[in-house]
Amino acid sequence: MRILAAVLAFAALPVLAADELHLYNWNDYIAPETVQRFEKACKCKVVQDYFSDNEELVTKLAAGARGYDVLVPTSNYVAGMAKAGWLLPLDRAKLPNLKNIAPAYLDTPFDPGNRYSAPYAMSITLIGYNEQKLKELGVTADSWATIFDPAILQKIKGRVSVLDSQREVMAAALKYLGYSVNETDPKKWQQARDVILKAKPYWAAFNASGYIKELASGNFWVVHGYSNDIYQADLGAQKAKQSFRIRASLPREGAVLAVDTMVIQKSAPRPDLALQFINFVLEGRNSADLTNMIGSGNPNREALGFIRPEIKAMKAIFPDEAASKTLEQLKDLTPKQRQLLNRLWTEIKAK
Amino acid sequence: MSAAWRASLQRFLITGPPLVYLLLFFGIPTLIMVLASLRLPGEFGGLAPLWETGPSGTELNLSLESYGRFFSDSLYAWLFFKSFLYALVTAVACLLLAYPLALLIARSPGKRRDLLVLLVILPFWSNFLIRVYAWMIILGPESVLTRTLNALLAGLGIAPVELLFTPFAVLVGLVYVHLPFMVLPLFANLEKHDPALLDAAQDLGAGAWSRFWRVTFPLSLPGVYAGTALVFIPAFGIFAIPDLLGGTQGIMIGNVIKQQFLDTRDWPFGSVLSMVLTVGALALAGLAALFGRRTRV
Repeated sequence: MRILAAVLAFAALPVLAADELHLYNWNDYIAPETVQRFEKACKCKVVQDYFSDNEELVTKLAAGARGYDVLVPTSNYVAGMAKAGWLLPLDRAKLPNLKNIAPAYLDTPFDPGNRYSAPYAMSITLIGYNEQKLKELGVTADSWATIFDPAILQKIKGRVSVLDSQREVMAAALKYLGYSVNETDPKKWQQARDVILKAKPYWAAFNASGYIKELASGNFWVVHGYSNDIYQADLGAQKAKQSFRIRASLPREGAVLAVDTMVIQKSAPRPDLALQFINFVLEGRNSADLTNMIGSGNPNREALGFIRPEIKAMKAIFPDEAASKTLEQLKDLTPKQRQLLNRLWTEIKAK
Repeated sequence: MSAAWRASLQRFLITGPPLVYLLLFFGIPTLIMVLASLRLPGEFGGLAPLWETGPSGTELNLSLESYGRFFSDSLYAWLFFKSFLYALVTAVACLLLAYPLALLIARSPGKRRDLLVLLVILPFWSNFLIRVYAWMIILGPESVLTRTLNALLAGLGIAPVELLFTPFAVLVGLVYVHLPFMVLPLFANLEKHDPALLDAAQDLGAGAWSRFWRVTFPLSLPGVYAGTALVFIPAFGIFAIPDLLGGTQGIMIGNVIKQQFLDTRDWPFGSVLSMVLTVGALALAGLAALFGRRTRV
């Protein structure tokens, strides 16, 4: 195991040089102008490396990857990463801008007292749809029934995709059944599996990110996806001068909210630059850059003034109070629960 | 230096490096996998510590549980079987497509032959994923191919079909990606055939069909076995193609193995599955080698 870890760690090791901030982030998850402004302010260079899901990040760190300063995990991974000893506690004195974050996103059970993490951006897992097509077909998208009820699905057969994520698909099915997304009772999981198996013949694919393009090109009419991806699909459709618009709908049963956070790796070569970076991103204007670019949700109160009004008006990106109450963040599962979930998922995918 | 000593030194210099390579990059990792399959998953990925000291004393974290889960559940055996079928169909399709091509290349004059071989290798110059993404565009519901096909079908009164996200798309991807691995060993074999043999067969009254079945084909069997093994084994464990081109029932065993290491963070179970895959692939490679040797005589 050691050997494997050493090999992987070596492969992941960026070239260490002075005055460089190593940011390990999601693809396309920071605005270029934010990076440029920070580079000017710190007289340093930002070196980015990308991951496409939390599991990739965790797996890489578990294998011993070092040399990153700032990482951007989703909130429910922070406690585990801290417990594994991978994170450096934040020096709050260096982060005065943390006060810009709305209180609802501070001091959460995922990281009590924000010892390790500062909120970065958010997304909601919801339904994206082709407005014109659904109107023609007389289908509405205000409930998870749109992707789970065979009576509705038969009108849009083969034009629906759901995320290629066991937690997200399960969470949507649990919500549809009226349970919490964090339900772990095996009986309720089996009910959710049955709902999924009944709907599956109507779905075109389990799709992790390709659905942005497929929505924009008119191949998919309904997708289960992330709010910011659906916003981008709409931009794509407009750019391609399509006759239709892509809209996002937050199902009335509620949905998964993901809050991505900034943390510092314990072995960070430049914890000083990391803190400077986090505080910089927490500034309203810098935080707004990302929302304006990709339509991500924003927990930063000071950012609101810099966000384009048409984005601020979108309920799927900035839900009202009533809708916010239906949102839940995923909690991490135990190894046993993960095994059971994967067993159900393999069955779902193999049948 | 005695002659015998020198001979064994020579043998070592020739066989040593590949042996060391195999030991380092196949033997040791396989051993690590065997050990990992007996351990317990760590809470945040990786493996649980080998032993833990709790209030009830030191406990060794070793277990056959992962094997138990594999053998007590027919779901995984079914996925292995399904992947086997996919790999088998891929290998047969590659063989049927590659054989005439390899024969054509082998019998082409020098310069043209080089050009044809180059054309076979050319796709390797662009990234594997990009080539698969290209297929997603070609097979997509709004593509020229799909629209033309469905227009033709409509003319015949047949309901339109979907191409992308179907088992058909997975097979197209598998065959496309693996085809060069069948063409090259076949070509390498066919090129070495002595044309005098065919002349002799003709002189003895064999027709074209008979010359092929009784001379060329038997002589090419080692190439057939090598190509089949080169196609079948990687196709058996692949996950990227079913991930991208497969629909909601397209997964193969490779996808399940990948899930154990990423989504589920269950390295021991992933190790069990990949060991079964390795043993299966080795057994099939062994069979191919055995047949290859028998027919070479």
